[in-house]
Amino acid sequence: MKIAQRLAGKASRLLAILAVPLACLAAAFPAAAADTVNVYSIWPENWARPMFQEFEKATGIKVNFVRFSSGEALARVIAEKNNPRVDVLFGGPVETHAAGIKEGIFEPYKPPSFAKLPARFKHPDGQWVAIADDPLVFMTNAKFLKENNLQPPASWNDLLHPAYKNMLQMADARTSGTAVTRIFSVLEVNGRDEAKAFEYMRKLRPNIQLYTKSGGGGTLPVGLGQAGGGIFFIVDALDTKAKGYDVVISFPKEGIGTAAEAIALIKGAKNPELGRKLIDWASSPAMQNTLAKHKINFLPAHPDVAVEPGLAAVIKDAKIFPIDADYAGANRKRMVERWIAEVLNP
Amino acid sequence: MASVAPAAGPARGLAWARQDPALSATVLVLWLLLGLFVVFPLAMLTARVFWDGGHFSVAGIGAILTDRHQVQAFWNSLLLATLVGLLGTLVGFVFAFTVARGGLPRWVVTAIDGAVLLPLISPPFTTAIAMVFSFGPRGLITYELLGLKGVTVYGMTSTLFSEALTYFPIAYLALRPILAAIDSNIEGMAMSLGASRMRVFRTVTLPLCIPGLANSFLLLFAASLADFATPLILAGNAFPVLPTQAFLQITGMFDLRGGAVLSLVLLVPAVAVFVLQRYWVSQRFYVTVTGKGAGQQPFESVAPWVRWALVGACLAVTIVIVYLYALLLYASLVMAFGANHAFTLRHYGVIFTEGLKAIKDTLLIAGFSMPLGGLYGVLLGYLVVRKVFPGRRTMEVVSMVNYALPGTIVGIAYLIAFNDPPVELAGTALVIVACYVFRYGPTGIRTTIALLQQIDRSLEEASQSLGAASGTTFRRVTLPLILPAFFAGLGVVFIRSMTAISATIFLVSISWTLITVKILENMTELSLGPAAAFSVLVIVIVFVVIGAISWGLRFFRAPGSEPVTSLLGG
Amino acid sequence: MEAVGVRVEGVSKRYSHKVKGEVYAARDVTLDVRPGEFVTMLGPSGCGKTTTLRIIAGFETPDAGRVVIGGRDVTHDLANQRNIGFVFQNYALFPHLSIGENVAYGLRVRNVAAAEIERRVREVLALVGLAGYEHQFSNQLSGGEQQRVALARAIVIRPQVLLFDEPLSNLDAKLRVAMRQEIRDLQRRLAITTVYVTHDQEEAMAVSDRIAVMNQGSIVQEGSADDLYYRPASAFVAQFIGRVNLLPARVEAASGGGGEVTVLGHRLAVAALPAAARAGDTVRLVLRPEAIAVRPAQDAGTLPQGTVAGRMFLGEKVEYLVRCGEMALQVVSYDARPGDLLAEGAPVGVDFKGPDIPVLPEERP
Repeated sequence: MKIAQRLAGKASRLLAILAVPLACLAAAFPAAAADTVNVYSIWPENWARPMFQEFEKATGIKVNFVRFSSGEALARVIAEKNNPRVDVLFGGPVETHAAGIKEGIFEPYKPPSFAKLPARFKHPDGQWVAIADDPLVFMTNAKFLKENNLQPPASWNDLLHPAYKNMLQMADARTSGTAVTRIFSVLEVNGRDEAKAFEYMRKLRPNIQLYTKSGGGGTLPVGLGQAGGGIFFIVDALDTKAKGYDVVISFPKEGIGTAAEAIALIKGAKNPELGRKLIDWASSPAMQNTLAKHKINFLPAHPDVAVEPGLAAVIKDAKIFPIDADYAGANRKRMVERWIAEVLNP
Repeated sequence: MASVAPAAGPARGLAWARQDPALSATVLVLWLLLGLFVVFPLAMLTARVFWDGGHFSVAGIGAILTDRHQVQAFWNSLLLATLVGLLGTLVGFVFAFTVARGGLPRWVVTAIDGAVLLPLISPPFTTAIAMVFSFGPRGLITYELLGLKGVTVYGMTSTLFSEALTYFPIAYLALRPILAAIDSNIEGMAMSLGASRMRVFRTVTLPLCIPGLANSFLLLFAASLADFATPLILAGNAFPVLPTQAFLQITGMFDLRGGAVLSLVLLVPAVAVFVLQRYWVSQRFYVTVTGKGAGQQPFESVAPWVRWALVGACLAVTIVIVYLYALLLYASLVMAFGANHAFTLRHYGVIFTEGLKAIKDTLLIAGFSMPLGGLYGVLLGYLVVRKVFPGRRTMEVVSMVNYALPGTIVGIAYLIAFNDPPVELAGTALVIVACYVFRYGPTGIRTTIALLQQIDRSLEEASQSLGAASGTTFRRVTLPLILPAFFAGLGVVFIRSMTAISATIFLVSISWTLITVKILENMTELSLGPAAAFSVLVIVIVFVVIGAISWGLRFFRAPGSEPVTSLLGG
Repeated sequence: MEAVGVRVEGVSKRYSHKVKGEVYAARDVTLDVRPGEFVTMLGPSGCGKTTTLRIIAGFETPDAGRVVIGGRDVTHDLANQRNIGFVFQNYALFPHLSIGENVAYGLRVRNVAAAEIERRVREVLALVGLAGYEHQFSNQLSGGEQQRVALARAIVIRPQVLLFDEPLSNLDAKLRVAMRQEIRDLQRRLAITTVYVTHDQEEAMAVSDRIAVMNQGSIVQEGSADDLYYRPASAFVAQFIGRVNLLPARVEAASGGGGEVTVLGHRLAVAALPAAARAGDTVRLVLRPEAIAVRPAQDAGTLPQGTVAGRMFLGEKVEYLVRCGEMALQVVSYDARPGDLLAEGAPVGVDFKGPDIPVLPEERP
């Protein structure tokens, strides 16, 4: 008996020694404070951060966020369904949110701007609402075009030109929403004829140098001339240009898709009220009016916010069509799997 | 009596526990921790693979084994690891041989050591990204210098090159003491018997090194097998490898089961390497490395022209390394690499404002992992070598598991095990700290074991005979003597805590993030500047801390105890 | 401190050996050490003497038997609970501690007051002739000095029992002789019960009150040095202690313990025959080299005849190898005068200095 007691005593002392630093560790990160909302942001940090700073300035609510690409973020929210660690999923092409609906991860909410938003910028039940619009573009390296005597691509078929062999970079559908929007764009311009659309993507495959993990992953290589061109969201493309890289933005005459950037409240969120406030703010002109100030080239979703003139000039003559969220949401998984099987690993 | 072990008398039973409560309590606690952080996650991983809706199933494994693409990835992984093992060992041997036999001045050796250390303490991606900028279609070397066009950097060759460059220092560090310990009198003897220099090398030096070469090959093989960062950047889509596939399966499609299956497939070669190393190579060392040099002047075992060729080869590799890191530093100091080369400090501004949380988190986690990992290594190493208790050997093997497995497996296993109750640790710093302690602490275990084998047991018995209980003996005699191992353990755990990504990328959360994950993030976005700045910062921090530890080591070193030659050995 | 006795009772220790299987390091060893006595366990390497010592110390637990120190059964006590002093073959000085700290170690463990520690360390270092060495480190000391520190460290805690494991085997021959004298003197002065282990019979004879000769895990004979030398109980002991000629002899007559034997064709009276010896039995005579005298052949008379096969002049003594038929005898002569040396090849007569020649029964292999 005595031995057992001594043993237990020693063990508990040792555990205590080990526990002290761990307790310090636990104490070192403050439990989410009452005035902090937790967010997974799909927008890259350099855009999300100024937005959240504006939000804090406007409301006094702090935002604790971490950035994931859309696939990763969605995957995390689904995995954490039983015990959500964040309150809001911020940004990302709407098809990401559409895919999440059938997983039952969102709490429907209709912010004050709901009524004013066009139909394609909101889910009828308020599962998500749009905060911005983001068309895809073709982006090419100016020097590359000149060296190969090419005009900026003005048609989907221009990208099949042999000069682009091994010189295009675009996103990997396994991780990136950009890629999914791209795939649905190809489907749309082919009249949702899946056979034709995948035929085109297979033909494009030899020209692909690399499928990047994130949507913007290829912009830098294109800017540097490591790659000749690619298909990106306009916001990434313009950012590349703004950084001083000599790139050309063009649109295909057949048209190209645009994806609404959405926001959604997580079901079972620990701070639902704060989450709703963030959604109220992000879906209203309050946030979208500050986009231009921070040189974030999303098109506003709210009809009361004017498109920044420089941005408007870029898209003036472009043929841009929305991706049908219901169709995309319903077919996303199947299309991605088909893309992996037929395009990525033929 | 070194080769005999006490026969376990049936009557003794629990006598060991009764006699020494401190020992039994420590053993108990260590088993609990090993159970929770090593056995449990692996069991959960295996269960996830074979347990489908409440019954046993091999469908998950079957689906992978029949998927042509994944099978390809498996063979690619093996091929890459083999080539990296061969190339890295070759380069490492050339370096080790040149340093040991080249008769180089001291400062040249120091310079080589410094340059060779760089890849070991760098965050992942650094050589990979520098490769892209040097050898890509618009690379500084391929395009600007050589004027080549349409070159593709993505694929096996560049991955191999980058990994070999990153990991050859492991081979160098493993082979140098062996070459140094070969008594050059043996070579002199062979020469006096009429053998030419080349013949001496072929028939004496090389054969003596073979176990060392095999060991180094296996180390590099394992390192390459586990590397996920380099292929993620460089392998492209044409050359998929398993760790990257498992990562994409999980983070991209959140297919935990698929990721688990892929990582379990990876387990097979990893375990094979571990077993080979432990039970085959380690028994075949002819040369005992004691840490003491052979002492005598190395004789002229190398012809002058060979010596110059060797020095030239080393210099070339060293220059490539220095060039790659200079490029990294440069990229961190210009506005936009490749477009706007105006000098700026703004990237450092960015990492110290927006990236500050990642820096703080990383330092905090590394700061906690370091002492815990060091203590864990020393304690477990000590128990395993010096104490007799049931399951001693098993404990040693279990403690090496997380160390031997590729990080991807460990990360995925932790993710599966700690995501849901009963042990819900996902999202906490604790899970990251535990991952580091149990994954990198074993280096300290090995150093402790090696050191203890050189310290006569009678020292501890003397203490005991003077009336000190086992705890006191450990604290006052053993611990001071194995402080070098403790510091080595600290160093390794710290370096890895600052630079590792393969396991912990699965464990970052809203509350805790890491610099390495930020680097990957920045890399996959457009922000090369901050990525480079973060990398430079990590290298600087690691250098400072290693310097401090080395200084501390000198300060604490007991007179007469063996110096630890390298913080990264083993 | 009152000296205490040590009793080792039926102690056995087995090991599993990779090649030999189960082997006994100690087999039913029983040894009694009286309070204040100096007992040496002597034997060739692997005989179990060190194992037995380590069992007394508490470094190993016996598979059977018990250890009693001062009337207390300590078999399951750890070494640190036994109040012993142990001196190791390799000294086992803590390399990270100064000499003073090494010696103070056991006192610190016992929570002795600092001033007291300092005093006792100074005292004991003076006792072993190392006054003023407190701040040196062990790697600055010679082997003999290190040995003294080890000794000081062991005795400063005033142990009930002092244990030595081959303490002198790492020293050179001269130092060994000097140190063993010091150890003996110190033990006498402190009157500490002491168990000493060595494989060197001369060292054992020099320091001990009593010697226990061990072979293959067992004690084969105990006794004082002269007991063992003059009255060995077995050929092993006879051969291990000193040099010896074992000559086969035939019992001619046995009466009241003594009797007559024939050796080398020569009839010889002996004082003690093995109890079971009967006329006609073969026995073996234990003839120390100095118990044999050689005489020039012309003076030999009826003595057995032999030839000098080898001669070594060593100053104080002369050693001869004498061939008698099949046998080669070692002979030492101390009283040779100049001119008396026998040449190699010289015929000699061999004389045995009876009658107290020990006689052993014939050992069957």
